[in-house]
Amino acid sequence: MPVRRALLFLTGVLVSVQDFTMMIVKSFRYLIFHFRMRESLFEMDRLGVGSIPIVFLANLFAGLDMALQFSVVMAPYGASNLLGRVVATSIIRDMGPVLASLVMSARVTAGITSELGMMATTQQIEALLVMGVDPVDRLIAPKILAGMVMLPALSVVGDLLGVLAGLMVAQLGAHVPAPLYWSGVRSALTLPNLVNGMLKPFVFGFILVAIGCFYGLRTTGGAQGVGRATTKAVVSAAIWILIANFMISKFLIDVWGWKL
Amino acid sequence: MIRLEKVTVAYGEQIVLEGIDLEVPTGKTMVILGESGSGKTTILKCVLGTLHPVSGRVLANDLEVGKLTDEELLRFRQRMGMVFQEGALFDSLTVGENVAFWLWEHTTLSDDKVEERVRMLLQFVGLESSIDQMPSDLSGGMRRRVAIARAMAAEDPAFMLYDEPTTGLDPFTSKSICDLMRRVQREFKSTNIVVTHDLTDAYRVGDLFTFIKDAKVIATGTRQEIEHSSDPFIQTFISLDS
Repeated sequence: MPVRRALLFLTGVLVSVQDFTMMIVKSFRYLIFHFRMRESLFEMDRLGVGSIPIVFLANLFAGLDMALQFSVVMAPYGASNLLGRVVATSIIRDMGPVLASLVMSARVTAGITSELGMMATTQQIEALLVMGVDPVDRLIAPKILAGMVMLPALSVVGDLLGVLAGLMVAQLGAHVPAPLYWSGVRSALTLPNLVNGMLKPFVFGFILVAIGCFYGLRTTGGAQGVGRATTKAVVSAAIWILIANFMISKFLIDVWGWKL
Repeated sequence: MIRLEKVTVAYGEQIVLEGIDLEVPTGKTMVILGESGSGKTTILKCVLGTLHPVSGRVLANDLEVGKLTDEELLRFRQRMGMVFQEGALFDSLTVGENVAFWLWEHTTLSDDKVEERVRMLLQFVGLESSIDQMPSDLSGGMRRRVAIARAMAAEDPAFMLYDEPTTGLDPFTSKSICDLMRRVQREFKSTNIVVTHDLTDAYRVGDLFTFIKDAKVIATGTRQEIEHSSDPFIQTFISLDS
């Protein structure tokens, strides 16, 4: 009996992986061969522009907090002059993209899953199919594109905001002169850091939208099912973002070496 | 013509349909009757190709549905109208946009032409004044009417499928929906399958009737043939309804 249960579980996992892969392959095929400009712009506005306040707020406080913590740690060693570089490096390489993605996953992944889940449980997805429209084409592909375009854009502006917030703490709390802070920030704008800062949100944007869509399309069981799917999607997205963050960091360190 | 040949469908180990044979001649309406959960809706899903039988085949105008690729299926469904139990209207779109949806997706008509056709279809179902309303603002009967208008948006729907189109409606609204279904059939000369458990509505819209019980077809025929059936289940079904 346990063997049978394990086999059933394994089959379920394999089928899920297959379904997810199919969804992604079809999405990219539609994005290339049947691009929907109107829907894509609509999703970019909804997913991206709608997330501006929370992403900016998260990055603002992350910048403030990091500058504060680093200044406390670095001051005894007389390394406050490196504050700009350390804050900017941390925000660009890691904190900015990860924080923006996690905050967005709470809003975007949850929103997508509940929207698609509701559509699935009220037969609207089936209605699309019956009308000769592939839901992946109409609903999924534009969302995935929007995630991959808007998260890097939001992340870049969020990074800038975090660095500016750091400047505030550096000047008022750690008494680091602004030119010194900015020269540290400038020295952090290296190619490896910028690639890190752009590649991560691009991948995270894909992850948080794709997972939301996947769980949304598979929703069954009415309102309770929608709630369950939404919770699963947000948790999965958060975990996969953290896993991807480590893997991209490792990959880029292997490519660039230990350069900052 | 729609034909099911020895169709068996199973969800895991549970058999939902077993060796179903069914034929709906072109231009006729077949009503599928049976208890809730007897597999009636599953037949519609097989015809639409959203569910594949484990054995047997489904033919629509000599096209074998199970052998169509995903792209072919999408094209095949473009000539099909389906009215879902609760309407399944897109709740983020207005009534007019719901009806226009098919035209936006599959034609290159100008906005003016689309609006003209949408108004014509909504007029046909008696809801032209609701064009700008959201589905959530409509009653159950109105939602079914919009769903019928949406299903008719295809220029020439060869097949119309109705999944319990009158469930949960009051008798007056049910009758008006049945009348509308009849009008649709006369207008488009489509081949129709109606799934219901309401015998009164079935007699209003049907030319042929099929009873399903325990995953199998137990009788098929005209109203007279059904009424003269000696099957105890059918006799009970008829007597309970009357």
